[in-house]
Amino acid sequence: MTGLLELKERVIRFCGRYEAFLLPVVKFILGLTTFLLINFNIGYMRQLSGILVAPVLAVLCAVLPTNAIILFATLLITGHLYALSLDVCLVWLILVVLILLLYFRFAPKDGYYAVLTPIAFQIHIPYIMPVTAGLLRTPASVASIASGTVVYYFLKGIRENEGILSAVEEEEEKTSKMIVALNQLLTNKEMFLVLATFVLVLVMVNLIRRLSIDHSWLVAIIAGILIELTMLVSGFMILGITGKMVWLIAGSVISLLIALAEQFIFFNLDYSRTENVQFEDDEYYYYVKAVPKNSVTTKDKQVKKIAAKEDAHKGERISRKALAEEMDIDEELLR
Amino acid sequence: MISKERVKYMTKLAQYDEKDQRQRQRFADYFRKDYVAIEMLKSLVTGTAAFCLILGVWALYDMEQVMQEINRMDLIPFATWIVIRYVAFMAVYLAITYIVYNRRYTKGRKELKKYYARLKKVNKLYQDEEGMPGGDDWEV
Repeated sequence: MTGLLELKERVIRFCGRYEAFLLPVVKFILGLTTFLLINFNIGYMRQLSGILVAPVLAVLCAVLPTNAIILFATLLITGHLYALSLDVCLVWLILVVLILLLYFRFAPKDGYYAVLTPIAFQIHIPYIMPVTAGLLRTPASVASIASGTVVYYFLKGIRENEGILSAVEEEEEKTSKMIVALNQLLTNKEMFLVLATFVLVLVMVNLIRRLSIDHSWLVAIIAGILIELTMLVSGFMILGITGKMVWLIAGSVISLLIALAEQFIFFNLDYSRTENVQFEDDEYYYYVKAVPKNSVTTKDKQVKKIAAKEDAHKGERISRKALAEEMDIDEELLR
Repeated sequence: MISKERVKYMTKLAQYDEKDQRQRQRFADYFRKDYVAIEMLKSLVTGTAAFCLILGVWALYDMEQVMQEINRMDLIPFATWIVIRYVAFMAVYLAITYIVYNRRYTKGRKELKKYYARLKKVNKLYQDEEGMPGGDDWEV
């Protein structure tokens, strides 16, 4: 056990120190996986399915912000669906605009979760996503998990109906492709069941994790996985969905193991990143590299939360004045 | 002479300065009510746009029935039906916006307090080092 802890410390320090090099590699791998999966599953446009497209886009994503992966994935999917059918492409674009309007208001920095969720579905362990987001992020991350889930089910439905959607249509069947595409969103009961489950699990895991009880993370993980299993098993039985039980149970077990590994790695960890800052005074220019250490205990976090709640209840009208008095500075500086 | 303690505080100040300046300035410029109200106004716009889009999708989906019903439809009950759903949708969406941005304001304000406390500390350290009187004249 001590050996594991030492190894963990060394890995964390290594990642903290060389984050500038590791982060692009992680983004490259994530981008490459995403684009290869898209091309493999819905690669209807030959030009975009070429062997070099995914690696080139992945290299670009390595040097751009995280949301570049979402942008390029959206453009890639749009291209493929345009090659399949204009109606399906239109439905996809409507879905993208809806996600932009509803998701980016709350969780624009959660690009990783929105991209990882469809990948997790593809490898049969989607159940880890709400548990991970509940442990490591805030309830606002439900927007990114939900977006990833909806996109996965939409594209899965498109792939399952590609025969109908790629057929040349008669005049009187003009609206049928659009109806088929919309059906993947509006009448997909399995998608609604999974969405409701993920939302509930994420919120519950986050709530339990923040309780001031012993082993709150462990309780949160186990409760989250159990809630998922219960809701999905009973939901699948009620809806008459068959053939998923084996992967549901296996995926839940694997998700539980991954979540326990996350607890080992991330529990009681300050997520500060190595930062390079520069500033000056009258005498010197300073170029400072700040490398993070583990510094915040769970107890300290709880104390800070209590203080934050007290601050939230103070009258807003006096906050500027109170802040100035507290800091012993001129109130004008806060205008 | 470089003071290690002063450099530590100045480093933390610079780290805070590196964050999104526009976003953190809003925590200083606005009272909680104003900040949350602005975000709720934005949500009103995006939520209304999203609802109109969803309505359009529903109309496309049920195009046949809509075309059949449109001539004999009683518009007032239909409009009431849409308004009720719009109000319910916006109530949920605005409630979520209120909760999320209230919490962000609390967190941002706490970080701002820490920032000003460190600023004051750095100024005092300068005074102690150089023996200078008074300390209200730094630019923020």
